[in-house]
Amino acid sequence: MFFLAMRQMVSRKKQTVLIFLGISFSAMIYVVIAGIQLGMRQYLAEQLLNNTAHIRISGREAFIVPEEIEPRVAGAGELMHWIVPPSGRRDIAKLENPQGWFDRLRHDPVVVDFAPRFSVDAILARGQSKWAVGFVGIEPERQVRVTSLEDYMREGSLLDLRGGGKKMIVGSGVLKQLGARLGEFVSVTLGDGDTYPFKIVGVLHLGSKELDERLVLGYLTDVQQINKTPGRISEISVALVDINQSKRLAAQWALYGSDKVESWEEANAAFMQIIIIQDVVRLVITISILLVAAFGIYNVLSIMINQKQKEIAILRSIGYAPARIMELFLWQGLTMGISGAIFGMLLGLGVNLLVGHIDLGFDIGKGRSLLISYAPSIYSTALLMSVMAAVVASFFPARHASKMTPLDIIRANL
Amino acid sequence: MTIVARHVIKEFGSSHTRVLHDLDVTIADGEFVSISGRSGAGKSTLLYLLSTLDHPNHGEIIIDGETVRALSVRALHAFRCRHVGFIFQFHYLLPELTALENVLLAPRNVGLLEEKRPQAMALLEQFDIVGEKDKFPAQMSGGQQQRVAIARALIMNPRYIFADEPTGNLDTVNGMKVMQILQEVHRRDRTTIILVTHEPDYAAMASREIDLCDGRLVSDVRRGVS
Ligand SMILES: Nc1ncnc2c1ncn2[C@@H]1O[C@H](COP(=O)(O)OP(=O)(O)O)[C@@H](O)[C@H]1O
Ligand SMILES: [Mg+2]
Repeated sequence: MFFLAMRQMVSRKKQTVLIFLGISFSAMIYVVIAGIQLGMRQYLAEQLLNNTAHIRISGREAFIVPEEIEPRVAGAGELMHWIVPPSGRRDIAKLENPQGWFDRLRHDPVVVDFAPRFSVDAILARGQSKWAVGFVGIEPERQVRVTSLEDYMREGSLLDLRGGGKKMIVGSGVLKQLGARLGEFVSVTLGDGDTYPFKIVGVLHLGSKELDERLVLGYLTDVQQINKTPGRISEISVALVDINQSKRLAAQWALYGSDKVESWEEANAAFMQIIIIQDVVRLVITISILLVAAFGIYNVLSIMINQKQKEIAILRSIGYAPARIMELFLWQGLTMGISGAIFGMLLGLGVNLLVGHIDLGFDIGKGRSLLISYAPSIYSTALLMSVMAAVVASFFPARHASKMTPLDIIRANL
Repeated sequence: MTIVARHVIKEFGSSHTRVLHDLDVTIADGEFVSISGRSGAGKSTLLYLLSTLDHPNHGEIIIDGETVRALSVRALHAFRCRHVGFIFQFHYLLPELTALENVLLAPRNVGLLEEKRPQAMALLEQFDIVGEKDKFPAQMSGGQQQRVAIARALIMNPRYIFADEPTGNLDTVNGMKVMQILQEVHRRDRTTIILVTHEPDYAAMASREIDLCDGRLVSDVRRGVS
């Protein structure tokens, strides 16, 4: 029947080409939309993972609560009225027992590695320029293993911080704001009057203006020392063997103490919501495009089957059973579905390659163009959906054709 | 090897308009039967019953000892493919296929495509249309198309040929050619032929003439040798 199916398609070139293009177009749109969305998501997820790791353990920020103070001031059970209620943060966030965490993480088999950090607010000064930054003390060797920050180094390496000695790595925006250059010394003050000269040994470029203008990295003990709080840790980033365990483990670890333990999904709930919305949008677009393509196949085959009644009658009288008549039309739907899908996927791939090379004029990650996913799953999904749409859309007309009896048709044409 | 119609009644529609009234016919192997009668007499209806394309409301059709109604869809199509050739007034060639491909449709269905190719060529040669073998139906004359349709009916060497006014759409020259072909096939292969026609001249070329009037058999004449 394949032979006859091909002949019938060739003899209706215009309709065949139209349906073929319809399916190609839907497959292409799917590949392009999925490529861009998933590429963007991959990039965002990578960024998030860089900055937050799989699990982040941080000190809980404690606030002053008037009700907690009342009993101590006024005595139990007495009514008290504040003219100005006390308020504010009790202290900067810090881990209660960093050493306990280190011991635990070091021996836990689900942990690949962890990196402690200590962050303070600082002001950099170079000549007349002053610039407020977040000064983050890290352990370079561990940081390299837990996150991919090293990939975003424009100059130098995270490992240049090793051993301390008042060296720092600054964000590209910080460098610009200060008008400083690599190798120069910049003075750092934490607001307590003391200033310390730090040498710029590297430049970091994350592709995010916010971060690049505010982030400064130093050696952990250097930062602890200028803050006069040796041993203090504000957060620990943890890399897990299995990223999918992060939510469960975070909940479990949170029971160990009062510190805040967040999985990367929880830390980025809003982002996860955007991902879900994107999925829904992609699904809706895909389904509507597929419906249009399927409707086209259905329509054309239905019209054709009406035009081909006589031929169907002849085939039946020659001994072609109903199942073979059905085959005849299924083959046509399937052929257009598969070839259209493959052509559309190639088109989509081409469009993606083009779009992926357009210079957008601003930074996204390491480049200046959209990041596009070429995951095989996108292409297999496109193929599967087009073929399914084609099969379903040709099934009903084909079954209708197979149910026509030769006699009704011959009588109708007398 | 016979086709037997026993107490056959055929009605149409919800009003049960009776088109064939309690008909009894037996057609023996190797007969050349013509069915004639006025338009609306029920000739085509009878032919479709005898040829397994339709079923009676009452009574039964028995072919080679088997009741047609009892056959499975599969067996029915296998029977049509192997043993029956149809020729209609309208040739019903598939427009996407060449003359030769049309002739080879039935062999293709049962995997005998290559085996039957020489025979298809021989048939086209015999019918004087071998030069048209690669033409599409639209490129051929009505007479040529009908001859292709006959070749298609003959390709499986059927035991039965059913023809419903095969000359109805043709001029006398082409009509006569078709009749001569049918006679030749009958004589040479002993094929059973059942031909519906309202042309007395053509009906007279058969070995047995059946006359229908308003769904009843009014005469059934056998000639010695045709
Ligand atoms: N499908 C049908 N529905 C209703 N009436 C029909 C149908 N087929 C045939 N008839 C009627 O049966 C009668 C015989 O038709 P038919 O066998 O085609 O006659 P013939 O071939 O002798 O001209 C006609 O009156 C015709 O109108
Ligand atoms: Mg008729």
